[in-house]
Amino acid sequence: MPMDPTGLRSELKRLIVAELNLKGRDPESIADDAPLFGTGLGLDSLDALQLAMVIEEKFAVRIPEGDEARAIFASVRAIADHIARARGE
Amino acid sequence: MTTRIWVTGLGLVTPLGAGVEATWAPLVRGERAIRPVRLFSTAGQRVALAAEVDGVIVPGASWSRTSVMAATAAEEALRSAGLDVRSRRVGLVVGGTTGGMFETEEHLARLHAEPDCRDALAEMLSHPLTATGDRLGERLGPFARIRTVASACSSGANAIVVAASWLLTGEVDAVLAGASDGLCRLTLSGFNALAAIDPEPCRPFDIRRRGTSLGEGAGFLVLERDDAARARGATPVAELAGWAMGSEAHHITNPAPDGAVVASLVERAISRAGLTPRDVDYVNAHGTGTPLNDPMEAAALARALGPEIERIPVSSSKGQIGHTLGAAGAIEAAITALVVQRRTIVPTAGLGQPDPAAPLVHVLDRGREVSRVRAAISCAYGFGGMDTVLVFASPGAGSGHEVEARPVVVTGVAVAGACGLAGATRCAAIPELPLDPAGGLDPDEHLDPGRARRLDSSARLGVVVVEHALTDAAAPRSDTGVLLGSAFGNVDGSAAFMHRIFEKGPRSASPAEFPNLVPSSPVGHASIYLGLQGPAFATADLGTSGESAIVQAVQLVAAGEAERIVAGVVEPRSDIVERVLAALFSHTKSLIDAERRGVAAAVVLETQDEARRRGARVLARVRRTLEWRDDASLALASLPAPLGDRPEVVLARPNAGSDALLEGTVWAACPRVTCSQALGESYGLGAVAIAVAASRIGAGMISDALVVGLAQARGYLVVLSRA
Repeated sequence: MPMDPTGLRSELKRLIVAELNLKGRDPESIADDAPLFGTGLGLDSLDALQLAMVIEEKFAVRIPEGDEARAIFASVRAIADHIARARGE
Repeated sequence: MTTRIWVTGLGLVTPLGAGVEATWAPLVRGERAIRPVRLFSTAGQRVALAAEVDGVIVPGASWSRTSVMAATAAEEALRSAGLDVRSRRVGLVVGGTTGGMFETEEHLARLHAEPDCRDALAEMLSHPLTATGDRLGERLGPFARIRTVASACSSGANAIVVAASWLLTGEVDAVLAGASDGLCRLTLSGFNALAAIDPEPCRPFDIRRRGTSLGEGAGFLVLERDDAARARGATPVAELAGWAMGSEAHHITNPAPDGAVVASLVERAISRAGLTPRDVDYVNAHGTGTPLNDPMEAAALARALGPEIERIPVSSSKGQIGHTLGAAGAIEAAITALVVQRRTIVPTAGLGQPDPAAPLVHVLDRGREVSRVRAAISCAYGFGGMDTVLVFASPGAGSGHEVEARPVVVTGVAVAGACGLAGATRCAAIPELPLDPAGGLDPDEHLDPGRARRLDSSARLGVVVVEHALTDAAAPRSDTGVLLGSAFGNVDGSAAFMHRIFEKGPRSASPAEFPNLVPSSPVGHASIYLGLQGPAFATADLGTSGESAIVQAVQLVAAGEAERIVAGVVEPRSDIVERVLAALFSHTKSLIDAERRGVAAAVVLETQDEARRRGARVLARVRRTLEWRDDASLALASLPAPLGDRPEVVLARPNAGSDALLEGTVWAACPRVTCSQALGESYGLGAVAIAVAASRIGAGMISDALVVGLAQARGYLVVLSRA
């Protein structure tokens, strides 16, 4: 499933809104570099676990646990970069 | 009158051994029972370590491993107390969360392979949470009453608080209280999905800790008022000197990092015991070994115990027996009572490098005898932030407690279903309403989508009905408790969760869905969404689950555990329940026709004093609640006659059973009204009937009401009168 970086980021935004049930939130309103956790979108560690599970399943990549995961989940761009790296794109 | 509550008997089944002595010796030696799981295949699990109980023999299809462990521990507790349940009024409280999920998973696996398998469907509901209490009743009873309570990992501690409330209101002479929880694929997969399991056997308070280890087991205590125990020549193991229960209203899986609620509960429990931190010589911590729990707990204990924290040894048993989940609060309470009795403190096994973020006086490697243990604390915290703290003391150390039942009134109600969302005014008219086939309620119209995003259908319905009842009562929220019943819990959610695992493996288990599968999830969500910080747990009692929640809330308010509790039932429509009942009753057409509809109901119960203080409208006074198992005659003998000139019997549905029951009582000639003709069939109608009865008295339509709730071999009577 090759995907250009912009398409991948859009796909991730849709996934975040759908999986975390962020009703009424327009996926495109999430900025590529906006922080997802804490003050940003207001997500928390339980959301991170859910996203990791869904991303692992959908993109067939491994998301590491712990501090490494924290860096990967910093923003939509960081997640997309990790997926691209992990798939060797 | 002042009374003390004695622990006169203990029973344990733990991964270290079956029996109190079989557990105690290895516990003190610091032995650990956390090993690779053998009970089921762990292929694909992140971590496959847990503390299993060996040698559990399940005698028949109506038994689960959970019920077998419970029966073994409960039998030992009764035996060691020398208590004959036939000789006095003995109550039974069973805490749990997983119930017969291990056995149910087998049926779910068959249904996954063959979705219409009738045999599997017919067995699907054979292990409701209530089953453990039912099996104990058959094997060890009769009991005057049986209650099933669930608040995830504090279930067992809450069973003990319920027992205390029964003893203080003088309704029973003794209570067998405890909890049991068996290991299963669902919980192992769920805690793995939450990344909450340490790949090594768990290491509470250690800087290297990476999570908990799951365990299983059962613990039961016999609790008695000291006068009744003395009269039969019983001796105490320890005194249940104090307790406190409350809710963090913070997050469905994570503890509030400041530990403020835990700290205030520790303070309240000690002060309720008439003790000070100077009297505390040991703490058995919740100590799960998760990165979040341990520093929170250390901070909370330091805040509550002040400078004494530098003297008091603190340990967690979870490095040895694992986190026994719903049973943990009861097993660890029993361990704490033994620490008091034997003046021997038990260790935190697995702790090698204490985390400076949890500065405590640790008990490393193995336990040791100490010069004295005047009082010891046991802590338990559950998903949704339902926390309970117990204080055990050497007999005579605590101040004792007032035996008193405070008058309780109903100040608000709400019913959700085919009638829409109704408060007291519209509830009063329910018996005169026809069923609107297109009627119903979309909870989302009443919820903030952002804050409600984690709520499943049960929690949505529950939050809306609890909020509406509080609005109807114009009641403040923060110190309010919440108790909700459900006959079968979230079977549809558990089935969907397991189907994903069967389909794609345990790594596809949804961490977000997992916390919604515990029976107390609607209660936890209601507490968090509405900021309710009082006592919170779920009850289950088949078709009278709502009655059990409301009657239990009355008992807790009467006993002084809370000034105000919202209590009721949440029964959303369940596809699985419909399919199971269709498979079971395909020969009796009427039951299939009467498909159940989603119903929720709640009533606000508070002390008369609190209602007066805040100038609340009082709908009705709760004059009497009665309940029974098997034999209703004792309850009927205590049934009071109506006080006013317009009494009414309010029923869930037309029911020949209640007609027969009331025959020969003064209530037999009273007019009867029902709720099913307005709301359709549901397991939640009993709680609706109580809400309707209070509303009709409040509206001046009737003077008194008797609500009769009946299900298989069990029943409740609730008598309401004018304020």
